[in-house]
Amino acid sequence: MSHSRASSSAAFVDAARVDALLAPIVPDTEDRAFVVRCILGEGPTHHRGANYVLLMLLGQLAPDLSAADVDALRARGTLPVPIKVPPHLERPQSLMAYPLGLPTGPLDALAPAGSQDQAAMVDCLNDGPPQHALANAAMMWLIGAAIARRDKP
Amino acid sequence: MTDLPPGLDQALSAVAGELGMASSSWVFVRAVARCSGDEAVAKLAEEVGPEFVVLEAIARAWLAGEHEPKTDTAKVIEAIGKATRVVVVGLEVAWLDRLLDKLPASVKIALVTHSGFPVDWERVLDNYAGRVERVDLDTFQHWAGGKSALLTFAYGRAEDARAAVLPLWLRACGADVRAQFRSLVAWNVLPSPLDLYPRRLVEVDADETFTHFV
Repeated sequence: MSHSRASSSAAFVDAARVDALLAPIVPDTEDRAFVVRCILGEGPTHHRGANYVLLMLLGQLAPDLSAADVDALRARGTLPVPIKVPPHLERPQSLMAYPLGLPTGPLDALAPAGSQDQAAMVDCLNDGPPQHALANAAMMWLIGAAIARRDKP
Repeated sequence: MTDLPPGLDQALSAVAGELGMASSSWVFVRAVARCSGDEAVAKLAEEVGPEFVVLEAIARAWLAGEHEPKTDTAKVIEAIGKATRVVVVGLEVAWLDRLLDKLPASVKIALVTHSGFPVDWERVLDNYAGRVERVDLDTFQHWAGGKSALLTFAYGRAEDARAAVLPLWLRACGADVRAQFRSLVAWNVLPSPLDLYPRRLVEVDADETFTHFV
């Protein structure tokens, strides 16, 4: 299937805005540049554009994300987003992971922590090419922060 | 009119693989200038240049008054940033040697041992006394990671951002690899863009291809 017409352009993507959005989650500028490039600068154009749209809209649900928001979510658990290389090229005892982890706390609302179902959800979120897995992780941070604010007494 | 010794193109082919095209060109341009003067450098550019466009560019720079390669490492070290592993794609010893002098020993270095010229890689790597590890196109992804950088050498950059690089870069840095290394760095070794068709090289859009072009 061809992806033509309007989806062939993602000129609206403003990487600086996503970089700013993710700054509380990935404070190191070099680490964040890597993550943002993988989400918005690699892969098919329609994925880049969709990632941008969804992240910016989710960012509106959790405006002014703070380090405290991130720390609270991180305290509930994170799992690495692996850098996928062919299996024979993986480094034993050295996790090849992106500098953005996947927060697992928000999944507790769907399946108990440690359950097979939650593990399967993590697999689904982490699977696929990096522009999917990293965008999923970034969205989970924003969704988690938004839910936490909603539930705050 | 100065006559150049015959076989310079063959001699250049013999050393370009183990020194790099720009590094070996500087050796040849300096030697010709020292022995026979600038007129001979111009003739070298004219006779050997079409076959070795990098030499032509360096001879042209020499005649314009540039008598040393620009090997300052500050910008490339800044581009490498906090990476703890650097995989070098392509070889330019004049630049790589300077970089190794400046990089902390904690930064691991690997070289993709592949060239369009004949190379005795054991001899090349012996010069680095274990500081540089050998990888090839099938294994360099073993070095991938969130603190890993890919570094190659570029041979000039035009105003429209076209830059000439080794075809090896395209073989190494596919869509999969781009997301496996945090930084994709090009270190420009020529003072000006190539004038001639980039034989032995390939043009890429530097802005699209690299995270850092220095």
